[in-house]
Amino acid sequence: MSPRYTTLMASLPPLGGLFEAREPAISRLKLQSRLSLLHPHDRRRLDGAIRILSQGLLGDASEAGESSGQRGRGDAPLLEEAERFFREVDHPLLRQLVRHRLDLRTIVAALRRRHRGEVDPPCGQAWGSGPLVATIERHWSEPSLGLAGLFPWIGEAVLLLESNDLIGLERLLFSLIWRELDRLAQGHNFDFEAVVIYLARWSLVERWSNYDATVAAQRFRQLVSAGLGRFTDTLAVCPAR
Amino acid sequence: MNDHLSLLVLGWIGIYAPVALGAIGASIGCTIAGQAAIGAMMEVSSGYGRFVGLSALPSSMSIYGIVVMFILNRSVTPINAGGLFGIGVLSGVAFLVAAIYQGLCCASAIAGSKAKPEIFGLALAPAAIVEGFAVFAFVFALVAAGGIPES
Repeated sequence: MSPRYTTLMASLPPLGGLFEAREPAISRLKLQSRLSLLHPHDRRRLDGAIRILSQGLLGDASEAGESSGQRGRGDAPLLEEAERFFREVDHPLLRQLVRHRLDLRTIVAALRRRHRGEVDPPCGQAWGSGPLVATIERHWSEPSLGLAGLFPWIGEAVLLLESNDLIGLERLLFSLIWRELDRLAQGHNFDFEAVVIYLARWSLVERWSNYDATVAAQRFRQLVSAGLGRFTDTLAVCPAR
Repeated sequence: MNDHLSLLVLGWIGIYAPVALGAIGASIGCTIAGQAAIGAMMEVSSGYGRFVGLSALPSSMSIYGIVVMFILNRSVTPINAGGLFGIGVLSGVAFLVAAIYQGLCCASAIAGSKAKPEIFGLALAPAAIVEGFAVFAFVFALVAAGGIPES
């Protein structure tokens, strides 16, 4: 454990719990400014990892590809980025973090495809990454994709997906990542690893708080529509003068 | 002749080692804690003094080293050179390691108490415990030095 980034880590506020904060303890702008304390080499490695980690877990790349004119590309750009990352970066914790995130994304992608009614694994297109792809393709029809022993949460994720509870599913995935970060953070207080873990946590808190804001805006619109609907009904029964 | 000279060199190393190693450790420890203090000052708008004060805590290892050096300081002979070397170098290493880890404890205390000022006192406990171990090394170095012949 090398205390290389003591100043940087001491200058960052505690993030608190994942689902507790209404907004991140530090703004993106301020965080970017603090990260200027990083060594350029570490900054490059960190940026490479963040480009992958910032991808949403529930983002359905196959659908997104169709709407953005990249039909058939699916997850290919992300997977290419991941390949480049694994080729260029040899930092164990960064690789472990990215590997874990890609595994989660691969599992969720398979579950969502199957939920949409795909009876066979995708053929001829890149849809997942790592050693899990072969296992999932072999056990496509099994409820837990043959991974229940390794990832016991898959059963819960399937239930949430079947009940269309995407918020619940995202909550579950965020909790899994947060727990993994807790595990990785052991023994890292003021080193590069600590910075990486802080940033990964900040990214989760930021995404969750934005997500909450979106849900709140949708709910507000629903309430306004409902209220206006009742008002229109009241006007409709008023006798004309 | 060469053996005689080597013994004398070891004796002199033993005399100066506590202060040299203590000073090196104190420099590293104070640097670590000082960097944390600077980081914390970027985040908070008051209470700077206690962060800076806390970051100076590892400097005590340097003082222990000076005291041990004065106790060990005497004419070096082949009879007392081994004792001087053993006590001087080992107590110096103890001060060096204690100072570095105390610096880390202080850095954690600073980082923690900037967000929760009420834990400042408790956050000092790990650094104080490390100080306690260094005091053991210091006191028993003095006790053991009493058994080394003067010449």
